[in-house]
Amino acid sequence: MSDLFNPTPEHLALRQTLRRFAETEVEAQAAAHDRDEAFNLPLFRKLGELGVLGLTVPETWGGSGMDAAAVAVVHEELSAVDPGFTLAYLAHALLFANNLAVNGNDAQRAKYLPDACSGARVGGMCMSEPGAGTDVLGMRTTAVRRGDSYVLNGTKIWITNGAVSDTELGDVFLVYARVEGAPRSKLSMFIVEKGTKGFSLGQKIKDKLGMRASSTAELVFEDCEVPVENRVGEEGDATLHMMRNLEVERMGLAAMSLGIARRCIEEMNRYASERKSFGQPLRDFGQIQRHIAESYAEYMAGRAYTYWAASQLELLRPGHRLDSDGVKLYCATMAKNVADRAIQVLGGYGYVGEYRVERLWRDAKLLEIGGGTLEAHQKNMTRELRGTDKLP
Amino acid sequence: MKILVSLKRTADPDNANKVKVAPGGAKIVTDGLEPKVNPFDEYAVETALRLVENGKTRIAGDTVVVASFGPKEAATNIRQSLAMGADSGLLFTTDDDSLDGDLVARALAKVVEAQKPDLVILGKQAVDGDSNQVAQVLAETLGWPSATFAMSVNLSADKKTVTVGREVDGGVVKLTLTLPAVISVDLRIVGAKAVTNNVTPAAFAYNDGPRFAPLPMIIKAKTKPIAEAPLASLGVDTGLKVRYTGFELPAARKAGIKVKDVADLVERLRTDAKAL
Ligand SMILES: Cc1cc2nc3c(=O)[nH]c(=O)nc-3n(C[C@H](O)[C@H](O)[C@H](O)COP(=O)(O)OP(=O)(O)OC[C@H]3O[C@@H](n4cnc5c(N)ncnc54)[C@H](O)[C@@H]3O)c2cc1C
Repeated sequence: MSDLFNPTPEHLALRQTLRRFAETEVEAQAAAHDRDEAFNLPLFRKLGELGVLGLTVPETWGGSGMDAAAVAVVHEELSAVDPGFTLAYLAHALLFANNLAVNGNDAQRAKYLPDACSGARVGGMCMSEPGAGTDVLGMRTTAVRRGDSYVLNGTKIWITNGAVSDTELGDVFLVYARVEGAPRSKLSMFIVEKGTKGFSLGQKIKDKLGMRASSTAELVFEDCEVPVENRVGEEGDATLHMMRNLEVERMGLAAMSLGIARRCIEEMNRYASERKSFGQPLRDFGQIQRHIAESYAEYMAGRAYTYWAASQLELLRPGHRLDSDGVKLYCATMAKNVADRAIQVLGGYGYVGEYRVERLWRDAKLLEIGGGTLEAHQKNMTRELRGTDKLP
Repeated sequence: MKILVSLKRTADPDNANKVKVAPGGAKIVTDGLEPKVNPFDEYAVETALRLVENGKTRIAGDTVVVASFGPKEAATNIRQSLAMGADSGLLFTTDDDSLDGDLVARALAKVVEAQKPDLVILGKQAVDGDSNQVAQVLAETLGWPSATFAMSVNLSADKKTVTVGREVDGGVVKLTLTLPAVISVDLRIVGAKAVTNNVTPAAFAYNDGPRFAPLPMIIKAKTKPIAEAPLASLGVDTGLKVRYTGFELPAARKAGIKVKDVADLVERLRTDAKAL
């Protein structure tokens, strides 16, 4: 019963659990949380009961110890019904929990991971700044060592889970900063908790095009003092942490694209049977057939690429950048195009919220920007391919 | 307390419209449909688990055993119930086509003799054949008390009796059975407070529906035992009593009509439908 998409019976069972959970618990709330730009914290905590908030975290720290293929399964299934909610999940499970599980020390893992795995605390990761996105090494947030502490100063933006409501900070974050005097390529990472003096919510960012069921926030660090034991790894280690964690993040975002595409194909495929025009179902028309057939073929191509890349990705080792960038580059645009075709097939009905594909189309666009823009993937991949005269 | 649950795999009930009848009406064809646990059997597993739990924790010493009859692949479906929380599985291998309700009931009776459960819980029927026979024939074969179509189950504090609620036309009938007994369950049994055991606090509410298998349980289920043996090893006569002479699809539904108003509706019910 194993195949590329469900490498073991456990992956298949995980998919079945998530699909049923998504259909029975997630679907019904998706449209309202998108409309209200609200993060559904109680629903998020249910993911803790399912054991997927700590999906890749070793069991010792309260997680489930699963692999990259499981990452793809969970993100794909949740995203097929609610990409916004799934993005909040990704920021917590991959950007925070996986990142700390891979890069932290045992004391840090023991202190923060059990609560992250249960959902008692919501985590996120702070990399982007108002002045530095793609050029992440251009970040300006600084950390100055003072006795047994570091003092952080700077502003982070676009931080998913930065807020859990309009006014309330998320609970705990991995924050990238440069220790004063360190060269451009040497970043460091710190754990910063809500309640730390000098750490505050700048603003919850409103009016996003899509992914509105996830909160995105600006976070401010003003003489924010964190103890030395909150430094993850040594000073300067975090550039590697970041690169390594971006790989699994991009895998998750590619899988989210797959969920969006699958749902859009299901919606347009069904509609093309039900809707008649000129006395015939839409699916009898060649132009509609092209929308459906090309969408399906592209979706399956992206799906095969993503799950293959997941099978190659080892969470503890970097070195998969070519394909983790590659799957996201391909799948993000694929999902956006498929969602666009779904709207086209549904005509006017596709343009309104009730038929879902409108929301999925808005959500899909983020995947071309967040976790690295398309252009960043193109740049990275071309760099990885330099000197490769023959592909294996 | 030991509970035995029987479990059948059925062709994906969510895609029932893909079921075909072979040319000539000789048999039902379900090729390409994923075999899934019969939904009512999933409710039976959920019922059994709620009886052996104290809210979110298990009562020490209580066990739930799941038995199935069918091809080797049915182990996957048993594994799903182990991931929900059942403790072990029994698979008696045979072809799906070499079974009928009577044989399953008699085979289950043999399993009961060996396993000595205090309670057997079954789905009221399988959603493929909809025969609704196994619980009744099993109870009769064993000479045990039984209650079918349970919508609620209450296990007494001394674990000697169960009181079963059954929905009937005029309301709900309550039957109290002395264990060991056989129960078949209906949809409402998975309501938040439908199953009580005098251990789980009264304030505790389950989620509606059968539980999701959480990932840690999925992983744990990998190491739970499933004992496999040929059906014949139970020493039952494997001859079938139920013979199917032919299958045909139901006639396509005729288009409905729209009625003008209530008076028109009543008139149509009286004259066209002859329902009044
Ligand atoms: C909803 C949402 C959630 C997010 N969540 C998080 C989060 O949780 N944590 C976090 O740290 N960040 C998060 N981000 C930030 C995201 O990672 C950045 O938006 C992204 O990296 C792009 O950075 P930027 O917005 O500053 O754009 P810029 O880097 O300014 O890019 C603008 C444009 O210029 C292009 N460009 C830039 N440099 C080059 C180049 N060298 N060559 C060619 N083209 C170039 C880009 O591709 C893009 O088209 C989130 C963003 C959004 C919208």
